[in-house]
Amino acid sequence: MGEFAAGGIQPNRSRWPALPLPRASRIVAGFVLAGLLGLTAYFVPLFQSSATPLQTSGGGLLNPISGPTDPFTVLLLGSDDDTKFAQDQYNTQSMILVRVDPANKQATMLSIPRDLWVPIAGQGYTGKIDTAYQKGGVDSAIATVQNNFHVHIDDYVWIGLKGLVKLIDSMGGVNIVVTNPVMDNFYPNDLDTSSPYGYYRVALLPGPVHLDGIHALQYVRSRHGDLRGDFARSERQQQLLMAMKAQSSRLSISDLPDLARAMNGEVKTSISLDRIRSPFSVLGQYNGSGIHRVLLGPPFTSEGWAEGQSVVFPDWSQILPLVHQSFP
Amino acid sequence: MIKVATYAVLIAAMVAFGFGVYRVAGSMKSDAGHSVRPSSTTAVALPYTMYVAQQGALYQFQGGQFKQITGDNGWTEPSASPDGTMLVVVSKHLNYSDLYLLAPNGQVKSQLTHHEAASVEGNHWGFLPRFSADGTQVFYSYDSTDPYDSSYRVDLAIYERPASQGGSAVRWTDPNQYTGGDTYPVALRDGGLLYTRYSIDDKSQVHSQIRLVSGRGASGSALTAAGDDCEQPALSPDQTSIAMICRRGSTQSTQLVLASIDAGSGQIGHQSVLVTGQMAAAPAFSPDGKTIAFLAPVQQGGPFQLWTVPAVASASPAAARPITQNVALDSGSAPVWIP
Repeated sequence: MGEFAAGGIQPNRSRWPALPLPRASRIVAGFVLAGLLGLTAYFVPLFQSSATPLQTSGGGLLNPISGPTDPFTVLLLGSDDDTKFAQDQYNTQSMILVRVDPANKQATMLSIPRDLWVPIAGQGYTGKIDTAYQKGGVDSAIATVQNNFHVHIDDYVWIGLKGLVKLIDSMGGVNIVVTNPVMDNFYPNDLDTSSPYGYYRVALLPGPVHLDGIHALQYVRSRHGDLRGDFARSERQQQLLMAMKAQSSRLSISDLPDLARAMNGEVKTSISLDRIRSPFSVLGQYNGSGIHRVLLGPPFTSEGWAEGQSVVFPDWSQILPLVHQSFP
Repeated sequence: MIKVATYAVLIAAMVAFGFGVYRVAGSMKSDAGHSVRPSSTTAVALPYTMYVAQQGALYQFQGGQFKQITGDNGWTEPSASPDGTMLVVVSKHLNYSDLYLLAPNGQVKSQLTHHEAASVEGNHWGFLPRFSADGTQVFYSYDSTDPYDSSYRVDLAIYERPASQGGSAVRWTDPNQYTGGDTYPVALRDGGLLYTRYSIDDKSQVHSQIRLVSGRGASGSALTAAGDDCEQPALSPDQTSIAMICRRGSTQSTQLVLASIDAGSGQIGHQSVLVTGQMAAAPAFSPDGKTIAFLAPVQQGGPFQLWTVPAVASASPAAARPITQNVALDSGSAPVWIP
């Protein structure tokens, strides 16, 4: 008998159907249910994302992280995914190997030159490494990096232009110290346009800046006005990752739905969303001195020509010892 | 009837509770990117008058209150004439930017440059203007056409032009190629000029150095070491002290540094670090030379706020105090602080 009945109200006279719970408990349960519905509504983008994980074409995780202290290696891929290209047939202009060693609080970022001239795994030709993804998907991109650099890759993350913009905007922007003026007369005007071959001018002045997604994309994509060309761009991409790492330390669980919305359809990864916080939280514990940044400029590589293309030739006798040291 | 009403109220309360939970969950999000217009907030009062820029508009700051003095039309990088009666300001647009003279109330007086062109690569940039010591000239960074007609090369150089309509601009510096060029000019009383030059060493590392040039076409000399990576110089009103931003190889944080300067000999004294471990930017001295205003985030990853620190070598980093909390000032626009 519930409290109402104890107060003299006859439950049998009610037009409301009798439920097994006492009425006060029903009221409490109603509030709990309403609260759960509110939470569910808030986190629904997270559930949607988790329900449709984006995985490798082979399916499943490449090599799930077995413990919170085991080192792991992630291949980060970035593509121009504008309308100049067929769906999911993009070059990967940005390829960065990241190894995280949680036990020693060390991380290494190695940028792979997009024009590196290597045998492309499973495709039967030698070409620029950034074509592996276009020709054979993520499996070919991963296998090409593994075969040439003699490393094991545990997971991958692919992101397109809009994905990066949305991701950074959902993080509230990033803070970066621009080292020198970033000037470009031919920055591609290929986002949200029907004419993806257009271009416009970019000028980012040096000094500390707070960048939103669009300007952060300009910062890591621009390359025409710098003596170091693509290597300068690679360096800025690593710098952006450091800034995103710093920004991620500010995020709470309540930020995850916004991140999920930003990433939905714009990011492909073998890491499910509930696991993606692990690498970020691990990196969040590191300070800048624990993160090593590696660029494969001279003497590790040299510029030249092959099959009528401007390419970057690897000197494996120099590269492999470095990789073995950084990615044991 | 009462029972129906009771159930209706209970259901409404449950719906409200669920909505409240939804709102509370949302309120727990980080607020790193949250900011408001300066004119929508108040701040710690500072003496004198200050001008700052945020997202295309200029704001006047007096007595703890911000007042928007221009529309949101790409206005940024203001600088005041020596007598404080005129501002020279950049108006930035897609592909180009121009210099304008504005009255202190934001009214446009004249357009100094015309950098817009029909072709994308035919446009030009004009940035970081500063008046000469006598107020008749303006120094600024400008991307001239590449002498070898390479449209890929876009390096800024320091130019000088009259602070009035008409007249032509003359070039002062010759930047290192494909570094982005020379920036942050500051005119000296004796006719010389401070500016920042960028270089790339044989290990592909970028360095910035503050240089002093005695006159147009002179070779000049570096005041700071390449490894210090200093830029954004600001001079005290008596031009005996220099404040600057140095990153010393870091790309994640900077230092606000104070030193004495002898413009005649081209030497600076011992460098005292006033602020470290932050992203300090854009220093500016107060009119009495006792305080330095600068911009830096209050929270890691957040937008840039206005700060001050005493302009004395013995000032500890703890002496720096934020003046604003939730605006998003242009970090490349040094505050203009005038009597």
